[in-house]
Amino acid sequence: MDFPFTRRQMVQALGGGFGALALAPLCPASSNSSVPHFAPKAKRIIHLFMNGGPFQCDLFDPKPELNRFAGQKPPGADLRTERPTGALMAVPYKFSQHGQSGLPISELLPNLSRFADDLAVIRSMHTDNPNHGPALFLMNNGSITPTRPTLGAWLSYGLGSENENLPGFVVLCPGRPVRFAELWSNGFLPAQHQGTYINHSNLDPKKMIPFLENTMLKPDAQLKQLQLLRLLNKEHSAERNGDFALEARIRSMETAYRMQISASDAFDIQLEPNKVREMYGKGHFANGCLLARRLTERGVRFVQLYYGNGQPWDTHSGHNAGTRNLCKDIDQPIAALLQDLKNRGLFDETLVVWGGEFGRTPTTENSDGRDHNPWGFSMFMAGGGIKGGQAYGATDDFGFKAVENKVHIHDLHATILHLMGINHEKLTYRFAGRDFRLTDVAGNVVTKIING
Amino acid sequence: MYNYVGILSFGDNIMKFRFVFILMVYNFSSVFGQTSASDREFFEQKVRPLLVEHCYQCHSVESKKTKGGLRIDSHESILKGGDTGPSLIPGDPEKSLIFKAVQYQNNETLQMPPKGKLPVKEIAVLTEWIRRGAYFPSAEVKVVNKRTIDFVQGRKFWSLLPLSKKDQPKVNHKDWPLRRIDYFLLAEQEKNGLKPSPDSSPSQFLRRIYFDLVGLPPTPSDFEAFKNPTPADYKKLVDKLLASPNYGERWGRFWLDLVRYADIPESWADTKGHSYLYRDWVVNAINNDLPFDQFSILQLAADQLNAPVPDQAALGLMGLSPSYWKELQLPVDIIKTVVAEEWEERIHTLTSTFLGLNFACARCHDHKFDPITTQDYYALAGMVSSTRPVDLSLLEEAATKVVLQARQKVVLLEAEVQKLKGKKPPETPEKIKELENQIVEIKKKTPNYDAPFAVGIQDASLYVVADGPNKTKLNYKTNQPQNLAVHIRGNPNNLGTVIPRRFPTVFSSPATKPFENGSGRLEFARALFQEAQALSSRVIVNRIWKHHFGVGLVETPSDFGVQGDKPSHPELLDDLASRFIENGWSMKWLHSEIVLSKAYRQQVSPASSIDPSNRYLARMSHKKLEVEAWRDAILSVCGNLDLSLGGPALELNDAKNNKRTIYGVVRRRELSDLLRLNDFPDPVTHSPNRVSTTTPLQQLYTLNSPFMQKQSEILAERLKRDYPESNSAKINGLYLLLFGRPPSSKQLEIGLEFVKLGGLVWSQYTQALLASNEFLFLD
Repeated sequence: MDFPFTRRQMVQALGGGFGALALAPLCPASSNSSVPHFAPKAKRIIHLFMNGGPFQCDLFDPKPELNRFAGQKPPGADLRTERPTGALMAVPYKFSQHGQSGLPISELLPNLSRFADDLAVIRSMHTDNPNHGPALFLMNNGSITPTRPTLGAWLSYGLGSENENLPGFVVLCPGRPVRFAELWSNGFLPAQHQGTYINHSNLDPKKMIPFLENTMLKPDAQLKQLQLLRLLNKEHSAERNGDFALEARIRSMETAYRMQISASDAFDIQLEPNKVREMYGKGHFANGCLLARRLTERGVRFVQLYYGNGQPWDTHSGHNAGTRNLCKDIDQPIAALLQDLKNRGLFDETLVVWGGEFGRTPTTENSDGRDHNPWGFSMFMAGGGIKGGQAYGATDDFGFKAVENKVHIHDLHATILHLMGINHEKLTYRFAGRDFRLTDVAGNVVTKIING
Repeated sequence: MYNYVGILSFGDNIMKFRFVFILMVYNFSSVFGQTSASDREFFEQKVRPLLVEHCYQCHSVESKKTKGGLRIDSHESILKGGDTGPSLIPGDPEKSLIFKAVQYQNNETLQMPPKGKLPVKEIAVLTEWIRRGAYFPSAEVKVVNKRTIDFVQGRKFWSLLPLSKKDQPKVNHKDWPLRRIDYFLLAEQEKNGLKPSPDSSPSQFLRRIYFDLVGLPPTPSDFEAFKNPTPADYKKLVDKLLASPNYGERWGRFWLDLVRYADIPESWADTKGHSYLYRDWVVNAINNDLPFDQFSILQLAADQLNAPVPDQAALGLMGLSPSYWKELQLPVDIIKTVVAEEWEERIHTLTSTFLGLNFACARCHDHKFDPITTQDYYALAGMVSSTRPVDLSLLEEAATKVVLQARQKVVLLEAEVQKLKGKKPPETPEKIKELENQIVEIKKKTPNYDAPFAVGIQDASLYVVADGPNKTKLNYKTNQPQNLAVHIRGNPNNLGTVIPRRFPTVFSSPATKPFENGSGRLEFARALFQEAQALSSRVIVNRIWKHHFGVGLVETPSDFGVQGDKPSHPELLDDLASRFIENGWSMKWLHSEIVLSKAYRQQVSPASSIDPSNRYLARMSHKKLEVEAWRDAILSVCGNLDLSLGGPALELNDAKNNKRTIYGVVRRRELSDLLRLNDFPDPVTHSPNRVSTTTPLQQLYTLNSPFMQKQSEILAERLKRDYPESNSAKINGLYLLLFGRPPSSKQLEIGLEFVKLGGLVWSQYTQALLASNEFLFLD
């Protein structure tokens, strides 16, 4: 018996060289042959999720009337939110116009302001429920319950994987967002479409993906074990006419082996040059943005980055001080991410989505806090297919409620799917006697924010 | 009168739609009172363009979907209105719904157009139009009739037709069939030019039937005893396995998939009872071959049947219904939508599990395909909303009272202790000591003080009511069942007619009687097996069939409706379902009937081009072990499996937990790695069948998890202990243990070569075999 027990022979026997494994996608595998329905404008998505819910008027939706009536509760400022709120509370931050478009952005985001001409801000978002749980579900799966497949799962189901060596749907959070695994559920779609959760508070890639590292065997010993397994499986399969299911598992076993190397590489931001790490800055969110870029460039279809553990943007008290810090944390990394994507020629094919599960009230809670606001809030999109330098829709005079060109979460989902080349009414899955879709029975594509 | 043919086209950047009027034949006499030329002009110049631009995408005969049941493209449809009533009252804008909607008067409930409020000028136009009498030219537009459900026709659908036994089909190859089902299968194969596959080998069959009936591998001595089986040996083997308590563990778990079982439900769930008591009840009931109809009726209504106390644990099916967070600081209309979602989930689970039809589709509108009306949905929603999950004592009433009183006392004493301890400076340590002693005493003296409570249900109606202007209260009224009003378009804040609680119309002609006994669960449960028995028996027979063969007679086990799969062998399904009922709804009878067939004994053969998906069952297919069977098999061959039955769930990542996987903790909101990675059904919702995927993350578990490493080491130690004489003996022993056969000479050679490498080589070797396809897949 002749065993090719050198490392190189082994890898060759496993079908592929390490050089090819580290970066390039292997073979694209699509799981739904009719998708995309038309030419996509974006290939991949990075969703920056400000869990807890930022206040729209602090950042992208300036409202002079709000400051003028601060301390009062005029009609229209009395909408019901999660808790009873008081009078209008002024926004202490200045706005100025940026870029050729003159898009107003708050002084809290000086770095991001440089990209004003790339951003399409939707100021008229609204959602259905003022609680975190249901609103998080709605943003992720289009219903207020945890029973439906999430956006990332739908994309994985519809478009398949671009890189077989990495999961197609990755969720990053330095901790655990509220509702946790329910936010990246595959619902009734097959389990391969569930999000892979990565806690990147520890930057060791081996700690990020479950069971990525073999703690008992050195790589060479594991190679030999795998060679043994392959010989046995190949023989077993040959006796069974190369049955599809058996062959699929053989391939999958080898992919897993390669993933130990390729994922270790993809998830290791310490491999980035200092210059790049400095560009993103320090902190969990900065690390997350950099990780998101590394995954995106390796073909991960959907990367969702939660800002932090729990719901950090949930500023029921001490709102202004909290927001200042939170913005300091996100401003440089997001700007760096956009710049980095541009530098690498990835910006035009990567859709960047920013926002929370809802916004916050212009009225006050606990004297210096702001409550949840499902009536109106801002999100922005940039990159693949987005017509930047514009604000779409509007809230009322106090920034409380979307009143013009309102965009519901279903519309947002329809638009995101559209950018990915998917007709949201046609991406369906038959379950329990019904053809389910992400947008339920609603959703209109917001065409005005789309290029061309 | 003259004819007018016009094409109006509006290309609008925002709305991105073009609306085209086609062939409208106008008759210029309005029914809305006097018509003047200026009304006509006003309408055509100002009103119609506005309606076309802002309304007709959703409210015209040309709409892809007419929203709210409302069309405003003819005078009749405007007067008739939609789900919420007439859209306007000519001459009276203030009382007209259209006016209110465009004014955005009703907070969120009715605001049109949904994209944003119209400019003031346009609202003024509409107001003026209504004030003037809402002139609309009468036009002979083809009226699209709203679809109504034809129950007579609906009952003719295959799954709803009455059952009957069928004649045993004639076949050419007469010596092949062993059981009645073989004739049905062979007849179809012969018609389609297929030949059955040869029998599998005894060892292949043994592995198949063990995993299939008890979810565990046979031991080397089982293989030895089944080397040259006689026909009678097959029957003996099946009887033995069906009599094993491990059978209930295997098949009970499949039942738990359907009813979204969880050991740890939401932290805010209504009940703190112990789920495992329900799981153990299911396992026991299946082991006792409790007839399927009774098995089901007890789960739905053990309380209304006055069933013996231990059987009350059956109520976990509804008791474990998912609970969605209800923030009671919110206004009542929001909480009502959350509660409506819960009711929908329960109806989905009940109707999909027992009837293979999802009535939840009829929450917002009549079912698009199946004969299920919105009224049918709310008739069941009334029952569901009159049922509340509660903690349930499994002690006799008197004993329960004693326990509850004792627990109440302890609660009070503990509060007292806390109070004393909190005092500064801490006084009366003697007093504290004395109280603590009292607590210990009560716990010791009260019989069954620690007896776990189960998850049950009782008849109690939930009313979601306002608590002041902004908050909400949940009121339960015990033993006062309620009827629900239809939620128009599924909106609980927009009510229609009240519907009495009753069984769905399609199963009962001519008229359905309202439920009379409490919430009606018992009447519902009984009707499932009387009025609806043709469907309910077909559904369960198909579920069990699909688990055995991998392919269902109907491939959509929870959709026996128009959109579902059509049966591959309708006569066989009917015949088997009839005989299942004749045999007292005995699941063990059904298993025997299936696994003793010649068809089930076939070997795995390559797919033929005539039947790639194996609907004709002229062969068996490779079957991948479910995660439970896979883990149990590993523990079993490594000699570690703890076969003790029942009891509280144990963590699966606890290295000391060697019990069967069915006893592993299932968290509704977060599955353990093992379950999550390996296709375990999501416990938030009804799972009709197992879906098998193959992913690299699963293989990382196989290659690198501490569980696999530990078991491989233990297995290597076992080999060294049991076969000290030689490497060949060890390898030989391992193959016998895992596959019931010795290794081929090539496999032996590969193994001998590998173990020469030294190091941790034996545990690497055992791990490779545990990770192999031969171990994971059944022939």
